[in-house]
Amino acid sequence: MNKMKTFNIKTKVSAFVALFLITISVSAQIDRSKQPKAGPEPEITLEVPGEFELKNGLKVLVVENHKLPRVSYSLRIDNNPIATGKKAGVESLIGSMLGNGSTSISKDDFNEEIDFLGANLNFGFSGGFASSLSKYSDRILELMADAAINPLLTEEEFNKEKTKLIESLKQNEKSIDAIGGRVGRALSYGTNHPYGEYTTEETINNVSFGDAVAFYEKYFNPNNAYLVVIGDVDFSTIKKQVKKHFGEWDKSVEVTTTLPEVNPNAQYTQINFVDLPTASQSSISVTNNVDLKMNDKDYHAALITNNILGGGGEGYLFKNLREDKGYTYGAYSSLGANRYGASRFNATAKVRNMVTDSAVVEALKEINRIKTEPVDAQTLKDAKAKYVGRFIMGLENPRTVANYALNIKLNNLPKDFYTKYLQNINDVSVEDVKRVANRFFKPENARVVVIGKGSDVIENLEKTGIPIKYYDAYANAVEKPTYEIEMPADMNANKVLNAYIAAIGGQDKLDKVNSVYITAEAELQPGVMMNLEMKKTVKNQSLSEATAMGQSIMKSVIDGEVGYIIMQGQRKDLSGDELKDAQVESSPFPEVNYLNGGVTLEKIEKVEGGNAYKINVGNTKSIYYSVDTGLKIMEVETSEAGSSTTYFLNYQEVSGVKFPFTMGKTFGPRKIDFIIKEIKVNEGVTDADFD
Amino acid sequence: MKKSLFTLAAFVLVIFATTAQEVKFEEFDLDNGLHVILHQDNTAPVVITSVMYNVGGKDGDRKRTGFAHFFEHLLFEGTENIERGEFMKIIPANGGTFNANTSQDRTYYYEIFPSNKLELGLWLESERMLHPVIDQIGVDTQNEVVKEEKRQRYDSPYGGLFQAIGTNLFKVHPYKDPNIGYMEHLDAATLEEFNAYFDKYYGPNNAVLVVAGDIDVVQTKKLVGDYFNEIKSKPEVVRNFPKEEPITETIKAKAYDKNIQIPAIIATYRTPGFASRDASVLDMISTYLSGGKSSVLYKKLVDEQKLALQLQSGNIPQMDYNIFALFAIPQGDTSLDTILDEIDEEIVKVQNELISERDYQKLINQFENQFVNANASIAGIAESLATNYLLKGDVNLINKQIDIYRSITREEIQAVAKKYLSPNQRVEIEYLPKKDNE
Repeated sequence: MNKMKTFNIKTKVSAFVALFLITISVSAQIDRSKQPKAGPEPEITLEVPGEFELKNGLKVLVVENHKLPRVSYSLRIDNNPIATGKKAGVESLIGSMLGNGSTSISKDDFNEEIDFLGANLNFGFSGGFASSLSKYSDRILELMADAAINPLLTEEEFNKEKTKLIESLKQNEKSIDAIGGRVGRALSYGTNHPYGEYTTEETINNVSFGDAVAFYEKYFNPNNAYLVVIGDVDFSTIKKQVKKHFGEWDKSVEVTTTLPEVNPNAQYTQINFVDLPTASQSSISVTNNVDLKMNDKDYHAALITNNILGGGGEGYLFKNLREDKGYTYGAYSSLGANRYGASRFNATAKVRNMVTDSAVVEALKEINRIKTEPVDAQTLKDAKAKYVGRFIMGLENPRTVANYALNIKLNNLPKDFYTKYLQNINDVSVEDVKRVANRFFKPENARVVVIGKGSDVIENLEKTGIPIKYYDAYANAVEKPTYEIEMPADMNANKVLNAYIAAIGGQDKLDKVNSVYITAEAELQPGVMMNLEMKKTVKNQSLSEATAMGQSIMKSVIDGEVGYIIMQGQRKDLSGDELKDAQVESSPFPEVNYLNGGVTLEKIEKVEGGNAYKINVGNTKSIYYSVDTGLKIMEVETSEAGSSTTYFLNYQEVSGVKFPFTMGKTFGPRKIDFIIKEIKVNEGVTDADFD
Repeated sequence: MKKSLFTLAAFVLVIFATTAQEVKFEEFDLDNGLHVILHQDNTAPVVITSVMYNVGGKDGDRKRTGFAHFFEHLLFEGTENIERGEFMKIIPANGGTFNANTSQDRTYYYEIFPSNKLELGLWLESERMLHPVIDQIGVDTQNEVVKEEKRQRYDSPYGGLFQAIGTNLFKVHPYKDPNIGYMEHLDAATLEEFNAYFDKYYGPNNAVLVVAGDIDVVQTKKLVGDYFNEIKSKPEVVRNFPKEEPITETIKAKAYDKNIQIPAIIATYRTPGFASRDASVLDMISTYLSGGKSSVLYKKLVDEQKLALQLQSGNIPQMDYNIFALFAIPQGDTSLDTILDEIDEEIVKVQNELISERDYQKLINQFENQFVNANASIAGIAESLATNYLLKGDVNLINKQIDIYRSITREEIQAVAKKYLSPNQRVEIEYLPKKDNE
């Protein structure tokens, strides 16, 4: 055991100072307006654990620490991550079956003895942990080894654990944390990756007792195992004991597993939304995959950079979302390092429903800030000091040096990784922070995974302009959820239409309209205008033509029984149903025609913050009328090519009738606003226009 | 569920403190009444400065619940010499960590630093005690934050458990109100009320300062005086909480949680406060019932009969009354009544028969193990010292608690089970999934 500690903190003159102080303490003045200066940095020397290896491959690390009469053993089977796919859950099942007896000690006797010793012993599929007072150190090690090498695996126990695992899934069915974690991992890594797959009742039911035993046989082996011993033990004694108890553990065939690639990052920033109607908070996670290993030259800079963004109460995220806005109890970020190159950047917060959209926007803002603004020198200095302090304080716990030694082995780090750690932290520069932020934080390719109450939050999330994709709690893509609002039983389509007619001026005023002539324009892109001209008459005549830069883009004409469309120079004559539909629409107020039938009232839906009646016209068109004002606010037309939406806003009166003076039309992901230039009633239209 | 009960325990902070090796400490009072405890341990270059105030959720106007916890937030906002928001920056910027927590009985603040920053820790805590800035901006911000904390804690699966217990087990004592308070009380609170609360409860004579770790005792004493002497003492806090009438007939209650699918059953008893000997006996009964896989209830209900998915008992320590609680989540179609019947069968055995010699020895071994592990860090030691002084009236419990357990006999275990754990002395709460319209 190489062990050396030199702590040199206290002054030798303290006794002298004490004497001196008795006389001056009364007049001792401190200046409390200033933060006190620190004393000299404590000197530290890292302890190194003792090591040995058994013939079967088990590597043992020993940290002697005699401060308290206790000992702990942790066993780690270092397999590559294992994908269990359709049998996900097999690892949990075998994990909970282990540590319940051995082939020579019954389960009851085994558990009774552990408890009697006042000890703890737990297993999982990739190792185990035991602790006890040091007076029982040999026996608890023996029990641990026996349970690991000769486990008592029975079908009865298997079935019991299976039932428990299925039921325990239900406990977290409505937890935003559980859903957020699962969906975030599945979307980021992909469900065929060990880190992205998840356990369901179905996958648990796919697992047989034989599968669980086979998993143990294949993966629970000493070949790549580590045993870490910490506490009140003596190196040479413990070496003998480990050899005695773990020496018979047979080495097995090397298992080679290939790890699938993780999913690529999203092509563009997107919200991945999961609706949980019971949620009173939204869980937000801005995440992208990163390839960061501990031996990466940017590792230390990555720690510091993430800390500045979201490492604690002093981070950009916390300062903004909690301390400035009060949106959340906490906002943090993490940047994982993983030796297989499969880890994530993840900025998270849980916020109240009504500020979900703002929190997303602010979080993205802070992430972009660290990528574009140089970090303040003092902030960087503070972040480094935090890591230095943590490093020093970590030495209080004997587990720290064991973890360091193990990390070096597992992550293939240079031997001096931890002795150079503080130096490397201190070397991180302002430029490094910006560079590393740009390397690892990718808001432009991030998923913003939001779990929340859709009826409260979706509408505002849509206003952020970030595209939203919808998923169920298991990361399967679903349709956007819709929310039923109760409709009065005596409501029908004609009442809605009559309310609309009344709202725009009343049947009397409409009767006086024989023709309308509307001109409008929209800015397609900066400086490029599109002009729109529409003429409609009560004789089922209509014309509409769009022109841009002096060229006709589209023209459609209906004149009684004939009609045609010209698009990009191609003329197409209308006939049959197409013509019939077009005739209905060619009226200045098609609602007058709808009163004759062919339309149905479906339901009330939330549109742009208000409730609206949804009227379906045929199979392809839905029109929404505001419950409050009666006005038409939106029209959605669905075709094989997708759906296009038109919004009607800014109603103004012309000749006693209200017309929308803004019409927003969606073209794929874009929305273009047509601004009405002029509306003429009963002028500017002749039959010749529809030839 | 383990997690929820853990949170629940964290509200009230279980302490079975003391170490196998004697924890040495030194204590004294400043003129202003601040009690100071020093513990020196130079094995690692780490120091903790902590202050425990004798004020908790139970204190204050019942129309202004939640003040103690609110203050735990408010007193990080800043002081006359520390700008708003700087508190949380200065500590990590000096390599330190910090936190605070509030129970029904007390509020606890601490910083842990590399030991060359001792003076900084004392400065921070003295600033907080001397002249914190309590203003409307801070109140408004923390009001929102506390609401989020409440949503995060209470609106998670089984998160309403502790409130259901408090409401049903206490009728007049302020333990009936949630520690975090009712949000309408916090919304209605004025700045004057917050200031008055500070003046009433945050005096040096209502607190204990602990400095533990890599310190020089003489130098530390001087620094403590330098930073804390100027703080004026405040009128003594007088408490006169109403006493609860004993429960003599089973109280049945229901509580609903929209975040769960599987119901739970809780049987809970009002038992003597944590400083009493009976409380220690009940600790042992709780461990006998559910501590470890071989414990009677776990073995029977979870393992053999497969009636429960989870089962836990706990003796939640509080100053005026402990809460002894049995909690179970049923497996499959098991009814809540069935579970309760099976639990009762075992409690009746403890009441009617002595537990075996071996089981008794097992308990002692389990408590010895806890005792050794409880003070593995200076942070654990500091909190035990503060609690033992402020709430239990005996600092040296840190070394003596194990002797109390060792002195408890099998006969006493039987007698205490008889005295407190009969069905007519308890509240039974069915904790049920909330359907949309309930």
